[in-house]
Amino acid sequence: MTITLTINGRRTTATIEPGERLSDLLRREGFMGVKIGCRAGDCGACAVLLDGRAVNSCLVFAAKADGAEVVTVEGLEREGRLHPVQEAFLDEGGIQCGYCTPGMVISAVDLLSRNPDPTEGEIRRALSGNLCRCTGYVKQIRAVQRAAAAMKGGGTDA
Amino acid sequence: MKPASVEEAWAALDERGRAAKPIGGGIDAVLYATPETTAVVDLSGVGLTYVREEDGLAIGATTTFTEIVESPLAREHLGGILIEVLEKVASPLQRNLGTIGGTLGSAHPWSDVIPLLLALDAALVVYDGRERRLPLTEYLAGRARGERPLITEVRLPAPPKASSCTFEGFSATGFDVAVLNCACFVALEAGRCAAVRIAVGGTPALAVRMPAVEKSLIGASLDEEAIDRAAALTGEAIDARDDRRATAAYRRVLACVGASRCLRRAVEKLGGTG
Repeated sequence: MTITLTINGRRTTATIEPGERLSDLLRREGFMGVKIGCRAGDCGACAVLLDGRAVNSCLVFAAKADGAEVVTVEGLEREGRLHPVQEAFLDEGGIQCGYCTPGMVISAVDLLSRNPDPTEGEIRRALSGNLCRCTGYVKQIRAVQRAAAAMKGGGTDA
Repeated sequence: MKPASVEEAWAALDERGRAAKPIGGGIDAVLYATPETTAVVDLSGVGLTYVREEDGLAIGATTTFTEIVESPLAREHLGGILIEVLEKVASPLQRNLGTIGGTLGSAHPWSDVIPLLLALDAALVVYDGRERRLPLTEYLAGRARGERPLITEVRLPAPPKASSCTFEGFSATGFDVAVLNCACFVALEAGRCAAVRIAVGGTPALAVRMPAVEKSLIGASLDEEAIDRAAALTGEAIDARDDRRATAAYRRVLACVGASRCLRRAVEKLGGTG
């Protein structure tokens, strides 16, 4: 079947297989920031914003995204400038091996769009669906705190 | 397919029988895809996403866990028990996708939501050619017989004044599904138990009410002794079996501890029995 969706601001028409997952469609369309870790909704590496909310794209049928607005990590930059959450992940060393980073960044963007001044507990809970299997979570949490402070200082549209 | 009304959705499901599945977020349809399912009926265009006040709460079937947790009405219901439980279900990424109707339609035996809704005396509005209202217990009994009416709404009755609801879940990690879970609702009148509902799930069977335990508490003063007795009775009453998560014996202990904690906290929330 054919679906039409908006990916990172661009209307896209795609032919999909029955049962195909949104994560697979997005990678096929070239958005390799969507990582496949577990294909079971456990690791969060495939997180994208679906109509503004962070979801595991491996748990969404591509067909369900017909008419939806999808933002992957590639869609967060504006005019060649990284999103403040991405900047903060770089500045705090929160990238680590990089595999879980896109999903972490997407979860953090969702959090900060609804809660611009989260407590550490709220950040931990917001990132609890994103598993890091290489190092740990301290730097990502600091990165989200840093991004929150930066976003309060100068306006940006997440 | 994406129908625009409940009637249209039902027609699409009815025509295809077991080959079609209704989906909210669609998580389980993706995770537990079977060759026999050749079509999914996406309910997100039907207009069932809401939390309203209607002799208690009315929650549309396609309302996500996040939407319920963010609802001020849900926050007010029985001291925010829905928030307390639902904000710990799965992960934030899944709560943004998973719906209350979907979780009831899947009826996984480890569900934390189902024992909670049993304790809250939930009813479901369902459609299978006509709209009707079923107590959740009846829906689950019908489901066991293979009946699959389309769930459109969850109704939670307005609780009496001096009442409270509590939940205890036991799992290997915060993210893992429950080894056993327990939910209690208690209403007091003049210091005595006027109404009580206890539901235990993940035994590993699907959650059920504990009528014998409930009966033993009606009219009683909910003091330490009565609670200890009811908790011990709960441990004996559950349909405990071994599986890869836990042994039956361990589950009986958990049921006892779960019921004890739930009842104690329910009474504490009401300022104690005196």
